[in-house]
Amino acid sequence: MFKHLVDGIFWDIALWVFTIGVLWRILSIFLVGNKKDLSVARTTGMTGAIAANISRFFPRSEMQSRTRLHVIAGYMFHLGLFALLFFAAPHILFVESQTGLSWPAMPYWAFIVTAQLAFVGLLLLWIHRVMDPVTRLISSADDHVGSILTFIVMLTGCMALLEGFEGLRVLHRFTVELLMVYFPFSRLMHAFMFIPSRAFTGAWFGRRGVKA
Amino acid sequence: MSDKKQSRIRRHRKVAYSLLSLLVLTLVLPLIPYAVAEKDETAGKVFNPGTELWRDVRQRDRDVIGTTQMKSVDAGVLINEYGETWRHFRMQQLVPYGAALMGIVLSIILLFYLLRGPLRLQEEPSGKKIERFTVFERTVHWFTVAIFWLLALTGLILLYGRFVLIPILGADGFGITASACKEAHNLFGPTFLVALVLLFLTFVKDNIYARGDMLWLLKGGGMLGGGHVSAGRFNAGEKIWFWIAIIGGLVLSVTGLILVFSILGQSREIMGLSHVLHGIVALVVISVSFGHIYLGTAGVEGTLGSMTTGYVDEAWAKSHHDRWYAEVKAAEDGSDKIVDEPGLATEGKS
Ligand code: HEM
Repeated sequence: MFKHLVDGIFWDIALWVFTIGVLWRILSIFLVGNKKDLSVARTTGMTGAIAANISRFFPRSEMQSRTRLHVIAGYMFHLGLFALLFFAAPHILFVESQTGLSWPAMPYWAFIVTAQLAFVGLLLLWIHRVMDPVTRLISSADDHVGSILTFIVMLTGCMALLEGFEGLRVLHRFTVELLMVYFPFSRLMHAFMFIPSRAFTGAWFGRRGVKA
Repeated sequence: MSDKKQSRIRRHRKVAYSLLSLLVLTLVLPLIPYAVAEKDETAGKVFNPGTELWRDVRQRDRDVIGTTQMKSVDAGVLINEYGETWRHFRMQQLVPYGAALMGIVLSIILLFYLLRGPLRLQEEPSGKKIERFTVFERTVHWFTVAIFWLLALTGLILLYGRFVLIPILGADGFGITASACKEAHNLFGPTFLVALVLLFLTFVKDNIYARGDMLWLLKGGGMLGGGHVSAGRFNAGEKIWFWIAIIGGLVLSVTGLILVFSILGQSREIMGLSHVLHGIVALVVISVSFGHIYLGTAGVEGTLGSMTTGYVDEAWAKSHHDRWYAEVKAAEDGSDKIVDEPGLATEGKS
């Protein structure tokens, strides 16, 4: 019964909420529009947008020692999760079963290593968030729910690795559905918004000849 | 004596010797075939083809490796007798003794708590706080704790689930749980090594043996007698826990990796031994961790805050880590306080 719901109606709902929610959030941000910029433009803003998008990948030199843990754990988690999500064989097979699309998967050992990197990164990031008084103060329930839900999805995925029990696959899929429903209403939206928001800040300052 | 009499005696002697020789020959000769027959080990044995087949399959008392096209360690061995020894150890010794060990440690802690209660501060909390652990130190600690307990819980379920969970979940339900725990345990195992390295690098400098540690130990850390015993940043008990966690953790990681990466060519005997060591060390480290957790939470008033907020009350520092407190104060004051004799923080110049 539960299996049919998870593979059926729950999945449909999650997919709709995710797709419409994400589109609605992105559109609502873009449709707000910009205030008219009355300053004399030094550049088109494009250079600033591109520069900010690139420079944000590297920590500022003054902050390097303070943010070392964040940067390393951040890359471990995000790259690990990205590889895991898009290049793990079971995920590709799932996408193929739904859409017919397919692409080469990474080998099993790489799948496991990326999962481990992602787990280490996520745990370090979340524990650090709670331990540092500043990040603790500026974190809202949303940040914690997002981190914990992502952890649970990864954990159920890792528990289903044997691919031998339907129950474990269904549990993993169910937690994915929960995350998909939560996603558009949370800061997890940064997955879609980090490039445009960097570009916006970079362009805004770039037009004034200021390095963002 | 006449010649006739002498020749008669000689004749009788000959007859006697002849009869004696005949008797000896009669007794010995039939034994010769037996003696000869004993030299041939297979002589006289009746073969039972079935017995022989099973003896070969189980290779109980001989080392016969069959031939096969499979290319892996022990591929030619049909049934490894050593597996039976290992299974016996796991079921008859590891499981009951491990449960007893954890049970005894928990009972002692409970009894101690009921009889003695938590260790209180020597003086009222002052309200003044000093930093005990940095953000990084606390992050590393709780990161290790998270992975340690993920591994400990999944490992304990794999070891004791058969007894505790099958009655609740049923055999099928436990099958799913066991599979989930095994996969999680295997995946998280190598990450514990990362945590261990971080834990080691972060805390090792204050966990080296120092003067006063022996005294602390001899006084049972103040637990047995009354009152508090002088200590530096970490007392001898904490140092022992640190080294148990590090060395135990290393043994667990190495044996765990041997078990997970079965493709590296190690034999079943090595895997069996690794499992034995893995199980024993895991149960010991888990049992000792109960003591650490008790002392870090309910056992010693005001301790948990040091690992959660990073700060402790000055009264706590003076009570439990007086030499460290003096060092911190000396650094704050900018004056050099020589903290030499255990329990004595003396002002002085270097
Ligand atoms: C829920 C479980 C745990 C709790 C509540 C806990 C709590 C604490 C607390 C409160 C302290 C600070 C003590 C002080 O200020 O002197 C501490 C220190 C420490 N803990 Fe834990 N702990 C736990 C599990 C672990 C585990 C599993 C490990 C290692 C595998 C560990 C390793 C350490 C180390 C290395 C220190 C620093 C003291 C030293 O180096 O000796 N802890 N813990």
